Amino acid sequence: MSEDLKGRVQELIDTMINPAVAGHGGFVELIDVQDNRVYLQMGGGCQGCGAADVTLKSGIERLIKEEIPEVAEVLDTTDHSSGSNPYYSAGKA
Amino acid sequence: MHRVLLLLPTTTYRTHDFLDAARTLGVDIVCASEKPSTFESHAPDNLLTLDFDDPDAAAAKVAALADRRPLAAVVGVDDLTAVAAAAIAERLGLKASGRAAVAAARDKYQMRQCLAAAGVPVPRYRRIALKDDPFLAARGVAFPCVLKPLALSASRGVIRANNVDQFIAAFRRIGALLARDDVEARGDAAQFLLAEEYLPGIEVALEGLLMGGALHTLALFDKPDPLEGPFFEETLYITPSRLPADIQASIERVTAAACSALGLAEGPVHAELRVKDDGPWVLEVAARSIGGLCSRTLRFGTGMTLEEIILRHALGWPIASLARERRPAGVMMIPIPRAGRLTRIDGVAAAQAVAGIEDVTITAHVGQDVVPLPEGWQYLGFIFARAENPAAVEASLRDAHARLAFTIA
Repeated sequence: MSEDLKGRVQELIDTMINPAVAGHGGFVELIDVQDNRVYLQMGGGCQGCGAADVTLKSGIERLIKEEIPEVAEVLDTTDHSSGSNPYYSAGKA
Repeated sequence: MHRVLLLLPTTTYRTHDFLDAARTLGVDIVCASEKPSTFESHAPDNLLTLDFDDPDAAAAKVAALADRRPLAAVVGVDDLTAVAAAAIAERLGLKASGRAAVAAARDKYQMRQCLAAAGVPVPRYRRIALKDDPFLAARGVAFPCVLKPLALSASRGVIRANNVDQFIAAFRRIGALLARDDVEARGDAAQFLLAEEYLPGIEVALEGLLMGGALHTLALFDKPDPLEGPFFEETLYITPSRLPADIQASIERVTAAACSALGLAEGPVHAELRVKDDGPWVLEVAARSIGGLCSRTLRFGTGMTLEEIILRHALGWPIASLARERRPAGVMMIPIPRAGRLTRIDGVAAAQAVAGIEDVTITAHVGQDVVPLPEGWQYLGFIFARAENPAAVEASLRDAHARLAFTIA
């Protein structure tokens, strides 16, 4: 079951998610699926990006849950402090 | 499920904490930024692109969305979004301060006019056109003075001048800053600057929540590093304040009077004041919450974050307690010492190991070009501490900061 779920998430990442974030120089890797929780890592322009949380929660998680309703949650395991080329950098306003 | 619109500029530090709070509250979030998300076409009801500098257009676009999918609240997370959020709330009939009041707070000249007219203590000020001759403009100013843009925040472009030569240099430097591509200054903010009396004294920041026009103080921060210029880089914020109770009470009274004079009635406010021998003087009242990651110093009631309180208030939900936890807390905004490319960061583990330190969050990244004040607008990161008393918090933050080493080439 988990392997099947993993395969479907991976397919979604390959066909819909990575083509979308590639526009900002980013990419997403599937780390694991456990107990219907999807663990991802963001790289390239997404790593350390000021908008990474929006991309993950309002973009990636929403898309995955719509396409694969049994997914309960999408979790980001990225070390965003190590990002060397974030698409957006935060500043105080 | 209640839907909340968050106005999140792509450059804000606040995204993570507001999204965390929304998840805790179980609300459906609509995120609006000034640039399109890569997923906007996949989730058009939850991802929006809005021009925050055109509040009418932003309000019209959101109203069209709300016709299909109603919104229960709108929250602008920082200065850049405050007026657009107020315009949207006004159009949709949602809880917020009035647009005119928020716009007045966003323009330092309008703010001083409102406050002075109401008898709220503010430094003497003059608005000066950037097309004017700075030599002639300096003749009408008493020294020392402080020159500042009308609408930038985080002390960006704020420069002290002690004489005519320094005035002219600061005038030209602010003019050059406002002309930069990465500075969003429109209308009066692009054509004028403010010159005001320099006020000696200690500086404090009050974080508050307006409910039905009444100011509730959430925290009063001391800023123990002297802010005497020539630039005004904020570093340490420590709460609770170590000032005597009567002075703290007068700071709250003056801030409440300032909010009332501006017409602010609902939502978060962040005020900065100078305390002189004759009492507190208002430097700024912004219709937003504290900037950067500084809100992480604050916990209320049984652990509620500032962002949860802001969202609950906007939704009209009950808030169990606005009382801050008793334990003193503080943050250091790690300043950028000089311009260049950040090539190496050392000492984070050592800084984290200092007693009282809760976290060290480095927000700059290796390879990033960093710019100090007055042109810069970012920090290298944030250090957070909690301890038995404010002095211990301050000592921990200074100790941790001393262990960090940033190599800037």
